[in-house]
Amino acid sequence: MSFRKRNIGLSAGVDRASALNSTAQPQQAAAAPETNPGIRPSPDDGRPTTSTGSRSLDNLLAGHGGLPIGKTLLIEENGTTDFAGALLRYYAAEGVVQDQKVHVVGMPEQWGRSLPGLIGPADVADEKPAKRKGERMKIAWRYERLGEFGAGVAGSRAPVATTGDQASSAANGDQAQQPAFCHAFDLTKRLTHPSIANITYIPLARTNEPFFVSIHKRLQASITQSPPNTVHRIIIPSLLNPTLYPPEASQPETILPFLHSLRALMSAPSARVTAMITMPLSLFPRSSGLVRWVELLNDGVIELCPFPHSADALATSGAVTAGEEPPQGVLKTYRLPVLHERGGGSDQNVGQDWAFTLSRRKFEIKPFSLPPAEGDKEAQEGAGSSAMPKKADLEF
Amino acid sequence: MPAQPPLPPLLAPYVSSLPQSSLTVLSSVLGATGNWLVLRFLYAALSAPSNSETAFGLNGSEGVKNRKVVLVSFLRGWEFWRSEAKRLVSFYPSMCIFYCGFEGLDLARLTDKRQFAFVDGLSELFYNPTTATATPRPSFPGTAAPRTVLPVRSQPSPVPARTPQPVPRPGNVSTNPASREIGPVKRLHLSGNGTAALDALERDIATVIKQLKAPIPGEADEPEVLLILDQPDLLLAATGPSKGIGATEMGDWVMGLQQNTHATILTLSSDSPLIHNASASAPQPATPLETEHAAFAIGSAHRAQMVMQLRNLETGAARDVSGVLRVSKGGAWGQNEAGAEGSWEEREVLYFVQRDGGVSVFGRGE
Repeated sequence: MSFRKRNIGLSAGVDRASALNSTAQPQQAAAAPETNPGIRPSPDDGRPTTSTGSRSLDNLLAGHGGLPIGKTLLIEENGTTDFAGALLRYYAAEGVVQDQKVHVVGMPEQWGRSLPGLIGPADVADEKPAKRKGERMKIAWRYERLGEFGAGVAGSRAPVATTGDQASSAANGDQAQQPAFCHAFDLTKRLTHPSIANITYIPLARTNEPFFVSIHKRLQASITQSPPNTVHRIIIPSLLNPTLYPPEASQPETILPFLHSLRALMSAPSARVTAMITMPLSLFPRSSGLVRWVELLNDGVIELCPFPHSADALATSGAVTAGEEPPQGVLKTYRLPVLHERGGGSDQNVGQDWAFTLSRRKFEIKPFSLPPAEGDKEAQEGAGSSAMPKKADLEF
Repeated sequence: MPAQPPLPPLLAPYVSSLPQSSLTVLSSVLGATGNWLVLRFLYAALSAPSNSETAFGLNGSEGVKNRKVVLVSFLRGWEFWRSEAKRLVSFYPSMCIFYCGFEGLDLARLTDKRQFAFVDGLSELFYNPTTATATPRPSFPGTAAPRTVLPVRSQPSPVPARTPQPVPRPGNVSTNPASREIGPVKRLHLSGNGTAALDALERDIATVIKQLKAPIPGEADEPEVLLILDQPDLLLAATGPSKGIGATEMGDWVMGLQQNTHATILTLSSDSPLIHNASASAPQPATPLETEHAAFAIGSAHRAQMVMQLRNLETGAARDVSGVLRVSKGGAWGQNEAGAEGSWEEREVLYFVQRDGGVSVFGRGE
């Protein structure tokens, strides 16, 4: 395991595994049963992760380059916008493209029909300005994309030669064989994929059982009955939204046991499940005890605070440099999968202020910085000339 | 930052001397979880005598005690605790590949050696998984299962067989240490209402404690059992008044469990909405969840000898600080005779959990 060539990636696909088999190394092959392109080991500790369908979000998740298997991500959103819904659609579309089993709770089939269309693997679709091509440090070619956030960990395992120039021909061939871990999607198109029909829709129907019990049973049944290597994605849009859920669903004794059991379902060692849940914060504020318990029962908690619409004009005129889109809101991370379960800390992404931008092609998360105040020029100049003493005036 | 042993020196006096029949409350918040501290308690109690001798010697206790631990976890499964305990390596992580094998805390092996028992409050607490496959499983409201019934192996579940077999019924004595099963042997089920449901859980946990206490030939003295209740406040939050479980019932439940053990550690969430919304000065009226949680948390702190609070750094996140640990005396401090409670002082320190699982604890400015 340790002496494997790292740049190839463990999820190298079927042909690699068969090659290993043919060279009479059954142990090695057994150690890497991952023939699933949608799953790859985390660069941090090797646990299997799967992509959220948005590379920027993958990179945010505490160095794992994806959502670790068995973990849930709760996305809370303020206001009436639906940025979290876009993230959910990316997540669902990625699952469809990777032939994973997608379960959608409480949404009709129309939801699945509006999944964003596939552009291609995220590395190709990523139009990164190839500025630093020439001045790369050749010695650390493996790590060259680890440091910067936009490319981040998710990009590091991709064939390096997408940005390299020397070995580009060979590696391009390599990439054609290698299935991508994360794809790029276009929100204005519709996804057409053969396995889109495999999405399961679990309705929020009233039965004589307590609410949520039937949902949990259906999820559990389909997870336990599927072949052992199937990867599942559970999608719960707008949890507790009163237009979807009955009032009694927001009672703690109804919702919390469900989330707890979902956690139990996902932590079973044989199950390979990830889940993404969104929740409207305008209806259920974070300052309430119930929401705090919902957060405590999830492995990752992210809040989206979209800017009010008038802020767009401000931001465009301000310090946003050319070529960058203005941020549409602030993203706060309260808890990241695995990292906070261990106690937190030591992640370069923790504690930063993030801004997000949703464009047609991607959901991008960038460090947030306030632009300098625009209309304050006179004051600044005035301050510079009069209030600040000249250097010569300062005598020590 | 220099490497620190699995039990950082600043932390050692707090985690390694727990007085007789004491309660220690460990409170955490969303962004500063207490699992690492629970692991340090485990390490202090279970690590090999060669390591712990010095730690215990400091506190004037009579050498190495026969210590055992029962961990009841309501939010995290066996896999998490097992893999995280393995990471408690005392050599520095760069050497980890070579030392992991025999350092660290192997909970599976300790389970076999009957020094440790895990009670799984996550897997089947609320929804019984076998109901989905329509296996007839009688639900015992008060676990009145006669003890004379022979241990019954659970039916082969549709879950592929890597999961350890759960004990099928509460109340059955079937923990056979000789069996090669690794993993949780007891899974808790919550059924019924009110104190009856809690009593059933208490009986299940007490059974596990008794099995662990049962003398093994070759062991001289009565073992000291440390009980760690990991986030039982979930029970309170997820049941609510309609099920007849409130802060008082939970307090009684913990007290009942304390009677079986040498010392008890209770971890709780103490996020501000769960504590402060219940106060009279809160802007909006508190929900029952908030009132009961606050009552339970504050009541437990009053009954505790020591309260360890974890919280985020007030000044925002930092790259080399994970959070703040405050150790203070609980409401029950000083009730025992002097000297029996160890020598420690109230303190506030910073801690940092490294990527490799190591923790360093240091004072402000150090």
